[in-house]
Amino acid sequence: MSTPDQDKDLIQLLKKDVNKGFRLVVETYSSKLYWHIRRLVILHEDADDALQNTFINAWKNIRGFRNESSLYTWLYAIATNESLTLINKRKRNTTTSLEDIGSYLANSIEGSTWFDGDEAQTRLQNAILQLPEKQRIVFNLKYFDKMTYEDMSKVLKTSEGALKASYHHAVNKIEKYLEGD
Amino acid sequence: MKKTDKIMGINPFKVPDNYFEDVNRKIISATAGTVNETNKLGLFIRLRPYLAIAASVAVLVLLSYTAVKIFLPAGETEFIPEISMQEFSESYLNDIDILTLEEITDPLFFSEEMPEVSKSEIIDYLLLENIDINEIYELL
Repeated sequence: MSTPDQDKDLIQLLKKDVNKGFRLVVETYSSKLYWHIRRLVILHEDADDALQNTFINAWKNIRGFRNESSLYTWLYAIATNESLTLINKRKRNTTTSLEDIGSYLANSIEGSTWFDGDEAQTRLQNAILQLPEKQRIVFNLKYFDKMTYEDMSKVLKTSEGALKASYHHAVNKIEKYLEGD
Repeated sequence: MKKTDKIMGINPFKVPDNYFEDVNRKIISATAGTVNETNKLGLFIRLRPYLAIAASVAVLVLLSYTAVKIFLPAGETEFIPEISMQEFSESYLNDIDILTLEEITDPLFFSEEMPEVSKSEIIDYLLLENIDINEIYELL
């Protein structure tokens, strides 16, 4: 996770030299954003597309951003939107129904060259994929990215209370899924 | 999350070798040197409505000027008296009878029939408005 001080330095550099600053933003954030996207879209090829689109969108709007405070939440918000756009495109392009997108992604895990999890890890991923889209994002941001509710509320434009409730429901559902396995 | 605690911290997803170096290079080369074009376009898009208004006003001024030049006989425009807004309004108000102005602005002036109101209706209304009864009798 990037610290606020790191973000401050990046913003200072962006103000001084936008090209150099942006290069450093890409180097600092590409892997963090990739893993966030990958956990949502599952396939490496999709995550790769969404990551590049995230940075291209960030670049297009970087001048508009420079006076704002949190680079970290801004980039996560763009990455989340790109991931959801890609998932929606996948829903439209396949015969998969909205409810079955979790199962579709779960099947993608098993056939993926770039998934190397053992049985327990596969079960956990399958459990996460059964969650509704918003709960899945909240769970991933909290559980894997260790994002605070305050930052998450900026990324998802949702109140902290609603996010806490959402995470709580997600944990209960995952536990039930794993116990029933 | 006891069941998942043992698998926490282990990332089951993998990426091709040197993926992050490659993708960083790709992103940087895709974006390099494009910011100025994007921002120039953004500025034009932001200013477009104002530019359209300015252009419309310029066209109207030009058309009016051309119309005056074409349709008024040569030299006639020189006889249009130059008068300031203050002088114009003063002379206009002097020409208008103030009573006529009041008649025009009175909404009842336009109604053909004035409604007849009886004395008892007026008293009822004034009582509703909490006017003292002695005062009402004095007025009527």
